[in-house]
Amino acid sequence: MNIMWSLLIPEWTVFAFLMILLFGEMFSREFSGKLASQVTFLGSFVTLIACFSVLGVTDSTFGGSFMVDSLATFFKIFFAITLIGVVPMCHEFFDRRLKNPGEFYLVLWSSLLGLFFLVSANDLLLLFIALEIFTLSLYIMAAYLKHELLSIEAGLKYLILGSLASAFMIYGISLIYVSCGSTSFPVIREVFALRTTHSLILLGILFILSGVCFKVAAVPFQFWVPDVYEGAPTPVVAYLSVASKAAGFAILLKLLFTVFIPFEAARTLMFSVLAAMTILYGNLGALVQTNIKRLFGYSSIGHAGYLLIGIAVGGEAGTSALLYYLVAYGLTNIAAFIVITEVGRRVGSDKIDAYRGLAKRSPFLAGTFFVALLSLAGVPPLAGFFGKFLVLLAAVRGGLGWLALLGALAVAISLFYYLSLVRMMYIEESSSEQAIGVSPVSRFLLVILTASIILVGFWQEPVLSFTRTAVHALF
Amino acid sequence: MILYLPWIPIATAFLMLFVPESQDRLIRRLTLGACSVCFAITVSLLVNFEIGNAGYQYVQRFDWVPSLGISYQVGLDGINMTLCLLHALVSLAGAFMSCSVSKRAKEYHIFFLLLVGAIYGVFTVLDLFFLYLFYEMTLIPLYPMIGIWGSKNKEYGAMQLTLFITAGAVIALFGLLVLYHRMGANSFDLIRMADTLKAAPLDQSIQNWIAPFLLIGFGVIASLWPLHSWSPIGYAAAPTSVSMLHAGVLKKMGPYMILRVAVTLLPDGVAHWATPLAVLAAIGILYAGYAAIRQQDLKFIIGFSSVSHMGYVLLGIAALTPVALSGAVFLMFSHGVMAACTFALVGFIYEQSHMRGIADFGGLAKQIPFVGMCLVMACMASLGLPGFSNFASELVVFIGTWPRYPLIVCLAVFGILITAIYLLRTVQQVCYGPPNPRWSQIKDAVTLFEKFPFLLLLGALLLFGFWPQGLLRIIGPTVEAILS
Repeated sequence: MNIMWSLLIPEWTVFAFLMILLFGEMFSREFSGKLASQVTFLGSFVTLIACFSVLGVTDSTFGGSFMVDSLATFFKIFFAITLIGVVPMCHEFFDRRLKNPGEFYLVLWSSLLGLFFLVSANDLLLLFIALEIFTLSLYIMAAYLKHELLSIEAGLKYLILGSLASAFMIYGISLIYVSCGSTSFPVIREVFALRTTHSLILLGILFILSGVCFKVAAVPFQFWVPDVYEGAPTPVVAYLSVASKAAGFAILLKLLFTVFIPFEAARTLMFSVLAAMTILYGNLGALVQTNIKRLFGYSSIGHAGYLLIGIAVGGEAGTSALLYYLVAYGLTNIAAFIVITEVGRRVGSDKIDAYRGLAKRSPFLAGTFFVALLSLAGVPPLAGFFGKFLVLLAAVRGGLGWLALLGALAVAISLFYYLSLVRMMYIEESSSEQAIGVSPVSRFLLVILTASIILVGFWQEPVLSFTRTAVHALF
Repeated sequence: MILYLPWIPIATAFLMLFVPESQDRLIRRLTLGACSVCFAITVSLLVNFEIGNAGYQYVQRFDWVPSLGISYQVGLDGINMTLCLLHALVSLAGAFMSCSVSKRAKEYHIFFLLLVGAIYGVFTVLDLFFLYLFYEMTLIPLYPMIGIWGSKNKEYGAMQLTLFITAGAVIALFGLLVLYHRMGANSFDLIRMADTLKAAPLDQSIQNWIAPFLLIGFGVIASLWPLHSWSPIGYAAAPTSVSMLHAGVLKKMGPYMILRVAVTLLPDGVAHWATPLAVLAAIGILYAGYAAIRQQDLKFIIGFSSVSHMGYVLLGIAALTPVALSGAVFLMFSHGVMAACTFALVGFIYEQSHMRGIADFGGLAKQIPFVGMCLVMACMASLGLPGFSNFASELVVFIGTWPRYPLIVCLAVFGILITAIYLLRTVQQVCYGPPNPRWSQIKDAVTLFEKFPFLLLLGALLLFGFWPQGLLRIIGPTVEAILS
């Protein structure tokens, strides 16, 4: 078999850093302390550059089970940028809490390796294995603060419900294998195109989709979200809310638009109902929260709802709107979580009350958080606005007017809880006047992220054409 | 030059981020400078405005997102030229009034400039996407400005105002998206949209169901009864220059959007809903007027009064005759300047006395003659005394509406009587009567710097009160072209 190794340059890079960390851990004590996070931070940039080596390439190898196309490359770049944002957060967060956080970065790299194979998988088995590598790493990361009860609870809850979802998925895969005789995407596509009403395949699709809906936290598969978000270490929550969600949507896009194509009519109905429920549940649930991480848990459910509209609509308009929304959501959420990490570390609490008077204690953190919150709420000219605009426009064009109206009204609901946070920061007085410092790396990242939130919201063409190119792989 | 109008204040706000908080004189000068430059640009645009030309002037266009038909396009016709002038006047006066803010001055001025820039954006762009973008962008500064620098119930007022306007905006957004989709020309360019829909109008049934989304959505910010409840509470809570900009200019964005989008693009749909709109407007005029009679708080009186006056504007739009529409646009201008002037005066008094109840004052005309007289004049303008432009514009609205809704006009004229009741009572209790010794220390506006905002606004009211043709000849041709 002729293997094109050059297609795997990003994966090789990730693997190389995984090995560096593994051996560094083994042979040096100091490494585990500070060096590990620095190597990881450097590695995330190298990985990003490595991803550009496959930009514009469409090819497959390993007997067609590993495929590089514009969509996979899009997601790899997305994940690498997520890593760049998450690593300094991890450093800030674990700095004082743990002596040897080196292992944590090891697990982080292994999760990234899982993600990279996941988006390139062209075979159900490889897809499943990659997904398991990713989620297993996440279970460990969620429970990483092993002396804190909430963190253990989060990890355990995530593990139990996550394994259930994986079980559903592998059962679905087995049903599809039984009916199609293969796990390879092209073969399944051909068989399904000929036998569109085959009940075993349909059952298998439903099982697989429910497994994936767990990952993206769509109602009614969202129960784990608030508890896990509250308990897990803050940087892990950031990673979970951005990377895990994006991974789920990568699978949905790949399966629904390149493999199970004839499933279309049922897809529109199913996902528009899911999207409506998810938007309502997330935004209404967020109204009454007192813990900021829990609030972001509910808000991330709400955002999943908007992303699901993109799946329900489908077509080039729907899917490219979805990717745009994902970019906006990713940038904004990372910026928000950097602030949450900084405040959590320096004020020592994740309660919403901890944000009282933040505008006085740190105008910089309050200002960047203000921009991030408004972008999440979808206020122009910020990134989140144009994401919502595209998604709603796609819904109207796709004949789902009711869903667009619901999504539009939910913006007004969501503004209430985002503005409540703004009120805490700007209007309420804090009992402590002590200034809050920001680490230089976080400051730098926040400036870059805030600038890009405004830029992506106002100068839409570059990102839009990038997402359009990415979805060309599907149609 | 029109291109720079929104961006001068926004760029100044960005610059101000890097000015240290202790440099408050520099901060004030930056705000005053940005607003003055914009004022000068607007005046020069007005002077060079070609009268009798119904189309858009100063048009400039840049493709922005070609695949969706979004372009950054600016231009002025009679309607938004008038509103730009209104905004230039009010924002300049507002900048002067903001100079007295001392608490967290830097943040205040940044938010103020963002607000001013976004409103210039609304009144200059001719692309539906950017129109909506700037329209919702005005929300960013409003919430913190009212919440931080406001008074009395400020958090509640700020939240209610923001949520009402956002809810209206997203309802309108849905209507806009459906309109864009149904039109099928893949363009947000308003000029092109108008041409396309003139050549091939949408079906009556489609127009009928899109129009209410736009009318209700944009009606919220125009405080259409019964969606007005945010308005008096919000204004009572807001700091002076925010009340000025909001009552004076932001509220006019609602009728402007209705004219620019609904009336221009969906004429048959608006005509279908015109009678209910006229009825709601008339109820608003009478109801808000009656509510104003019952108020004791000066800012609530003006707040309800502005709801009542916006009813005349909406009534003029509902009539859909060229005369009524001209009157409506002219009234938007007159009421905006008058409302801003009244809020500025009340703010000036409140800053020294920290009292706003009308019973708390008395004989102010004696104690502070200049401000007292300005307040009397502003109230006279509001109740429609000939010589002020409010009289001329309300008269034009009534004349224009008469052929369509004679009965409603008869009822609405009573609104003027009600206005006279509460304003005369206010003037009598606040400015005349026995002087309240409590306020013997209160200071009048003495320097030209303090007097300037009031002189500017009252001067504009008098100028166009004696010379209404000055604005009507600009508005007229555009309005006729929209209705033809």
